[in-house]
Amino acid sequence: MRIRDVVIGANASMYYRLNFSKIRGVFYPRSEQEVLQIVLKANEQGLDITPKGGGSGLSGACTGGDRERFMISTLQMREILTISKDQRYVDVQPGATPNEINDLLEPLKMKFYVAPSSRDIATVGGLISTDGGGNDTWVNGTMRDNTIRVKMILYNGAQLVVDWDGVRSNDKSLEEKLNRAGMTIHDVASSHGTLGIITELRVRIKPLVEEELIGGVAEFDDYDSLGQAIQSLIDAKFPVRYGEAIVQAHEDVRGDLRLPLLVLEYPRDDALQEKLTAIADFRHLSKEEVEYLKDTRIKLPKRNPKEGIQVALFEGYGLHGKSLTEMSHSITEVNELLMEDGFRPFAKYGHAPSKWYLGDNSEAFGLVMHSREIRPEGRSGKEIFKTVARIVDKCLELGITPKPEHKWPFSDDVKKKRIMKLRDIIGGGFNSFILDDNAGEVLGSMV
Amino acid sequence: MVEFDKCVRCGSCLKICPIFEVIGEEQYSPRGKLYLLQIMDMIENDKELGKEFRRLLFQCTLCGRCSETCSSDVDLLKVWHEQRGKAIHEAPEEFAYLDALRDALSEVKNIYGLDPEDRAVFWMDELEDEFPNLEEHVYSEGKTAEVMVFLGCLMSFRGSQIDVVRGLISSLEKEGVDYLLMGAEEFCCGHPLYLTGDDAGAKQLRDHNRDVIHKAKAKTVVTCCPGCLIQLSKYHELGDVEALHHTQFFDRLLKTTPKTKRSEEFAYHDPCELHRILGIKKEPRSLLNKMKVNFREMDLACCGGGGLLRMTDPNLSDKVIQLRKAKERIQDTTVVTACPSCREQLLSAGSKTVDIIELLAEALEDEQ
Repeated sequence: MRIRDVVIGANASMYYRLNFSKIRGVFYPRSEQEVLQIVLKANEQGLDITPKGGGSGLSGACTGGDRERFMISTLQMREILTISKDQRYVDVQPGATPNEINDLLEPLKMKFYVAPSSRDIATVGGLISTDGGGNDTWVNGTMRDNTIRVKMILYNGAQLVVDWDGVRSNDKSLEEKLNRAGMTIHDVASSHGTLGIITELRVRIKPLVEEELIGGVAEFDDYDSLGQAIQSLIDAKFPVRYGEAIVQAHEDVRGDLRLPLLVLEYPRDDALQEKLTAIADFRHLSKEEVEYLKDTRIKLPKRNPKEGIQVALFEGYGLHGKSLTEMSHSITEVNELLMEDGFRPFAKYGHAPSKWYLGDNSEAFGLVMHSREIRPEGRSGKEIFKTVARIVDKCLELGITPKPEHKWPFSDDVKKKRIMKLRDIIGGGFNSFILDDNAGEVLGSMV
Repeated sequence: MVEFDKCVRCGSCLKICPIFEVIGEEQYSPRGKLYLLQIMDMIENDKELGKEFRRLLFQCTLCGRCSETCSSDVDLLKVWHEQRGKAIHEAPEEFAYLDALRDALSEVKNIYGLDPEDRAVFWMDELEDEFPNLEEHVYSEGKTAEVMVFLGCLMSFRGSQIDVVRGLISSLEKEGVDYLLMGAEEFCCGHPLYLTGDDAGAKQLRDHNRDVIHKAKAKTVVTCCPGCLIQLSKYHELGDVEALHHTQFFDRLLKTTPKTKRSEEFAYHDPCELHRILGIKKEPRSLLNKMKVNFREMDLACCGGGGLLRMTDPNLSDKVIQLRKAKERIQDTTVVTACPSCREQLLSAGSKTVDIIELLAEALEDEQ
């Protein structure tokens, strides 16, 4: 075992205590050709393959579970290959980050509009694999909405080009089968690296919008009022450019915030202002105040209480429909469950209004709420994972989408069945642990 | 809570790390190293992994950019400092290459292992014609002055630094400053030992320097070296004596300066230890602006010369500066800096380089 084989386990999720002896090789390819060689070598040795991007996600997909495997990091595949301003796309290797793409686009007054808070490290390959997005998915959609096509290599070395119309491949029989199954970008999105390894993406870019925005904040007496205000913004198709709810925050990091609150940025327009005033009591914010609140929000996942350590049990709660408008009930139920299991709620915050996709590829709109808890002392990984499993059940009971941005196929039957169907055609070989019946147990062993 | 446990492994420190940028593999990143500490209980029985980890700790420039970027408030510089000390303590045989440094500092009190008397010989020989009364400004028992100049090992012994020493002395002379140079009585500031986590060794050197500075009744100690300044200002316990970087000293002293006559394209490389660790950002730029130097800012990134990397992994150090040079497009630019170590790195990469004090001395000279 070498140290590079161990360190590949570094990732932002709570699943980081890997069984390193199962990692048979770690690779940092620079080109599609190098990826192909690694894939064929894994195939020859009968090993699974786990692709890894920036490791900033919380799902644990990039750990590869407990399979004997090769790990392929895309961190050295970060070239921006072509920029077409006229046709509004960028061809890019999977390891590039939104920030790296936008640094190159800025002089052209163009922008790639996918902006997760981890945009300095999250890679576009990872973002499509989790269908991530930032606080502007309401306006700009998730990663899949901004992806035109992806190139992938499968376990047998076949190459695929997947777009919104279907699949092209150097293996014509495979191409026909996948097109018959209706494979599109929808399937690559949120597949957590279970189908193949992405070697290139064509992503959508748009002109840099320069519009005058104003900031506002509304503080609410209770969670229901917050949820109803978000629902009203959705119903009114209100052009929110930035929207963040801070629902709860521990006193060590709350500062002088009065919670729950909703911070918005939207175009300066009298008619819009009137509409907004009818929805809730929004107070204007100066640019500095907006920046302060944005900064407070963006740091919440990274800060710790004075005593104890925060942990993200769960990527996000997709509150929509009744679970949003009756948010007090949702929050109370989730918090009670957490406290029953010894966790102290640390912070709840998230994008609103926001957009995500359900397992059947239909759109959902609401609040993508992240949650951080103070971890109890002396709990085993398995016990902690049990809480995660309980939360999944609780979400399903409450009509909340569990982990909307980073859906685990194992908690989403529709998505899981679809991936398994495609893998029957493709042949598997990638990140298979996610689809195993004991995936929960494996994850629990890594907490 | 142990400091490294605060890390949530978000990865924001990866792409800003000069070592990760060069190598591109996770084990060289701050997150990778903190991760190893977090899972040390799982790997500590593997001797080879331990050895590799200890080596990784010294493949770092200690530029502090990871500490600055960390939203989880992990004091990474503190972690690296502690872990380096622990590594050498646990496996001294793996760091035998540092023995020469430790022996030199213990026996002759400079990093080069040269005769302590030579501290005041190289630059005296070179500069005594230009500054005939220079010897009077070299400290010996009984001499006192308002300002004590602490040259540091690089500037005392390296021929490549003579223009900086000349610029400093020239500027002090022109402004009529009452100054002394510590000369042969100057011991290394202890920074190299501090960078290896050897606080006890560093303390012995500091004790001597403090004694000399107090005997000279200096009110201010001035140095051109940010590493020395870290030691002088934070660890020498100089009491009422203020330790200043030369840019701070001259920026305070000179409300205005003559305009530079140099018209080439300049770029300012801000030394990591100066701006990030000591927080001295304003004064170098203020001096450049007073002299009307037309300069552009370079990225606030490391040159590869810090953290003893030149000694622990010179090839890696070279790669950092070469990549930096290519990225910043400085081949036709004069790089201004304010650190002898950065200067050495830039010179080694074939960059045209000046210290701010050289520009100041020229401007003062031109005025006359």
